[in-house]
Amino acid sequence: MTDVVVVGGGSTGCGVARDLAMRGVDVTLVEKGNLTHGTTGRMHGLLHSGGRYAVSDRASAAECIEENAILRDIAAHCVEETGGLFVERPEDDATYFEEKLAGCAACDIPTEVLSGAEARDREPYLAADIERAIAVPDAAVDPFRLCVANAEAAESRGARVATHATVTDVLVEAGEVVGVELAHEDAPDKRGGGAGTERVEADHVVNATGAWAGRLAAMAGVDVAVRPSKGAMAVTNVRQVDTVINRCRPKGDADIIVPHETTCILGTTDVEVDDPEDYPEAQWEVDRLLEELAELVPILAEARTLRSFWGVRPLYEPPGTGTEDPTDITRDFSLLDHADRDGRPGLTTIVGGKFTTYRLMAERVADHVCDRLGVDADCRTADVPLPGSEHDAVLDDAMDAYGLRSPVARRSSERLGARTDEVLAVDGPNPVVCGCEAVTRAEVRDAIDDAGTDLDAVRIRTRASMGNCQGAFCCHRLAAELYPDHDAATARASLSDLYQERWKGQRHALWGDQLSQAMLSRMLHATTMNRDGDPARLDGDVEFGAFDGGRPTGDDARPDGASTAADGGSGWR
Amino acid sequence: MTEPDADPDPGVLSVDRDVRPPNDGSHAGENGRSDPPHPRRPDGGARRDVDPLDPEGYDPVDVFEGGDLDLRAGADDCYKCSTCDTACPVAAVDDSFPGPKFQGPEQWRLKRKGDADVDGSITDCSNCMRCDDACPASVPLSQMHNEARGEYVDERMPTLSRTYVRNRILANYRTVAALASRAPRLSNAVAGLGVTKWVGEHLLGITGERELPEFATETFRSWWRERGGAAVENPDKRVAYFHGCYANYNTPEVGKAMVRVFERFGYEVLVPPQRCSGTPMFANGMLADARREAETNVAELADAIADGADVVACCTSCSMALRQEYPELFDIEGIDDVAENTYEALEYLRIYEDLEGALAGADLEETAYAYHAPCHARNQGLARQAIETFRPVAGIEVEDVGESCSGISGTYGWKAEKYDYSMEIGAEMFEHMEAVDGELGLTECPTCAMQMEHGTGYEIRHPLEVLEAALLE
Repeated sequence: MTDVVVVGGGSTGCGVARDLAMRGVDVTLVEKGNLTHGTTGRMHGLLHSGGRYAVSDRASAAECIEENAILRDIAAHCVEETGGLFVERPEDDATYFEEKLAGCAACDIPTEVLSGAEARDREPYLAADIERAIAVPDAAVDPFRLCVANAEAAESRGARVATHATVTDVLVEAGEVVGVELAHEDAPDKRGGGAGTERVEADHVVNATGAWAGRLAAMAGVDVAVRPSKGAMAVTNVRQVDTVINRCRPKGDADIIVPHETTCILGTTDVEVDDPEDYPEAQWEVDRLLEELAELVPILAEARTLRSFWGVRPLYEPPGTGTEDPTDITRDFSLLDHADRDGRPGLTTIVGGKFTTYRLMAERVADHVCDRLGVDADCRTADVPLPGSEHDAVLDDAMDAYGLRSPVARRSSERLGARTDEVLAVDGPNPVVCGCEAVTRAEVRDAIDDAGTDLDAVRIRTRASMGNCQGAFCCHRLAAELYPDHDAATARASLSDLYQERWKGQRHALWGDQLSQAMLSRMLHATTMNRDGDPARLDGDVEFGAFDGGRPTGDDARPDGASTAADGGSGWR
Repeated sequence: MTEPDADPDPGVLSVDRDVRPPNDGSHAGENGRSDPPHPRRPDGGARRDVDPLDPEGYDPVDVFEGGDLDLRAGADDCYKCSTCDTACPVAAVDDSFPGPKFQGPEQWRLKRKGDADVDGSITDCSNCMRCDDACPASVPLSQMHNEARGEYVDERMPTLSRTYVRNRILANYRTVAALASRAPRLSNAVAGLGVTKWVGEHLLGITGERELPEFATETFRSWWRERGGAAVENPDKRVAYFHGCYANYNTPEVGKAMVRVFERFGYEVLVPPQRCSGTPMFANGMLADARREAETNVAELADAIADGADVVACCTSCSMALRQEYPELFDIEGIDDVAENTYEALEYLRIYEDLEGALAGADLEETAYAYHAPCHARNQGLARQAIETFRPVAGIEVEDVGESCSGISGTYGWKAEKYDYSMEIGAEMFEHMEAVDGELGLTECPTCAMQMEHGTGYEIRHPLEVLEAALLE
């Protein structure tokens, strides 16, 4: 028995769990994959200033700038203060530029107008014909670590967080929702603390499943018409820009570049889909991103892309609005009280909204649930820093104290924030496990302590396997860290899962450099770890007797003087 | 002894980070030179001649503040294969050195605009540039290393530290040599004193294990002047000789051989005013020094090119600097012309002359040489040129002692803390030199020659000297 079950381990669900836990409510958070498994893990990493909505949706814009300021404060280690630019091309409507400025002013979003030359001074790779730009306080945010920090904060106040636990039914008794039935994934060592099926009774259930909200609602016998809309994003290998670049035009696809850690994320498209889990991932979407965004930053046309991914927006509009185009559907969020709406007490659904306002959404949900439960406690999530953000990490200290190379120390301590010392202060050697993203063994072990055997959950906590080689050189090292706490078969299975996850996104980037990378990765894995046919994984015994005796030895093995020049050299290189 | 063409400010070590003058041609005046009468070909590197409204017309140079290059995109070519690490002679002996992959594409990819945290291990790189040669994907490794090292030295290394002072002195060998050559006998006597070595080792960190190079009693340029300059005039066949510091101050016999051999083939040899190529400055992150030297060299050599000459160097590190490092690191008018028209001396003759025919009649007293190909020669595709040139010549036996690095890498092996590594890297070469028949060493690179001599006691020759003997004696 728990007070509240929150379904959905994305930003909203984790935010609700934290908020309720801080108010003394007993919470269980359940998520069918790992944290951020759904839409949160598939966003572009923009912390909105609100500038994007300042013309079309001022209410959302005003919420964004407020939440933007709060997150910089409570989640400093997850936010990079990149700043943002809305840039205008010659063919763009000049009056819209003025509307954008006026909108920002109305929503208290600070702006600065830059000439084309000034904008290029900040971002030298901007196209030479960018005419002018509006600077706004956009920022980059790591949704993974932010989500994990919320979940950790909730746990530290007594909440239970069960990942890899799918809700198979919503329990309804006498017309009232009284809990959920869970099916735990068949891997008890993955985080979640359960096996088989489990019945979790609760006074209230929060449906924070975003694009999946309609499905969960249906289990409770109520109708929530979510309109999932997919958006494509492509990840470049390096940062072409260090500032968020938005195109200053009313709306459209392919109009934003977000610097994210070592990469840039190019976004996006907006196409309504029927099923949030089964929709076409079309190459034209990726092509369009690169083509159109190269109008803003020309070197993108020749940039290496590591992978592409699609996210599904949990768009929702109240019944009867009848909007045709998904880009016109409001980005505002809706709290559905099923007691009032459907005569089904014990269930609240939160849909719509955006990552930037997740905390505010969570606050509204927690207010509502506390009201229903008769709990009298104020929201404190805007004032209390998230784990890792309690104080600034001191970079120079990290380098000297932990014997790390300076870019490794910088990256690690930026990711870990106030937890730097706790994680990196280990006895003995601390080698770099993922060279591309500068992740050390201590950080990996810390993530495994938290995430269990799910290496994808280790990835989102550390960024290991998210660089150039997409895990070619580190996935096996990550898996090796599972042993001996977990057995070899578990490590092997986790390794395969991570390879598949890494491969999934690369399929849409198989040209040029990344194709060469994929070929090298495959060759390495095939020839060093038998990934193309590992005898240990084959069914049945290997007939070693069927192999021949190897290369003959002796004089006939090598023709005389075939490879050595008479003067001792080995020929032209 | 004075240098008629000595630079106006030979001892000035100004520390101004690579400040790029406007590329409108006006900066030529800063060197006290008037603009050349003939128009130079456009530089090309800066792309400042593009239409400002052309969206393709972005300028890849000067991206980071302070004039540094943004080389992050260079990481796109890296597949992390680590071939560079396996080719790195320093990583093989120095366990604390993380290797070229980390120093280059990894570190650049992890960098952000405004970051000032290049790792200090970049100063352990010897700049042998073997990683460039090893990379199957054309990652601009040495360019990344050079830029990172320049940034590290500029922003992180205290200018009052012993290492900085020592490196500054080593990098500015030309300045030291110019002073020492004013009284070469005295300089050599002082250099040989135990107290000099003690001071070098204990105060500066210059190893006392090595004999300081001996200064010639007459520099190449003095000889050239007294000789009356070129003995052949030929507007159709001209070469501008980039002798570098070592052939000028220490081994003028190499320079003389170069002049005689080229005149034998009917070339008019020009000897333009010149400074250090910059090689030791790149290796020590002294990019402002290197740029100052490069400005003079590029201006003078571009003039010679405009007069119909090709540039010919006898030191493979000098030709490497002019060909690769200059256009990669600097944006100076005429720099691409210089890079495209520079050759190593033997390479040039093998391309444009019938060297084989000219050597057919040669018959020398039997001499065997142990030849070492310098790393920088290897990078220019010249590793086999000496072997191939002398193989058919009667009386000359040349054996290649293998692909290993000599270990000295210019200034690297002169640093007290690197000396042992330097000798460990060189061990394979020493062993192979002992194993072959030759009792004389042969190489194009002056510091490889120092190392070969130091490790084996052999006398070392330059291929041009052997060529001179074969053609003219």
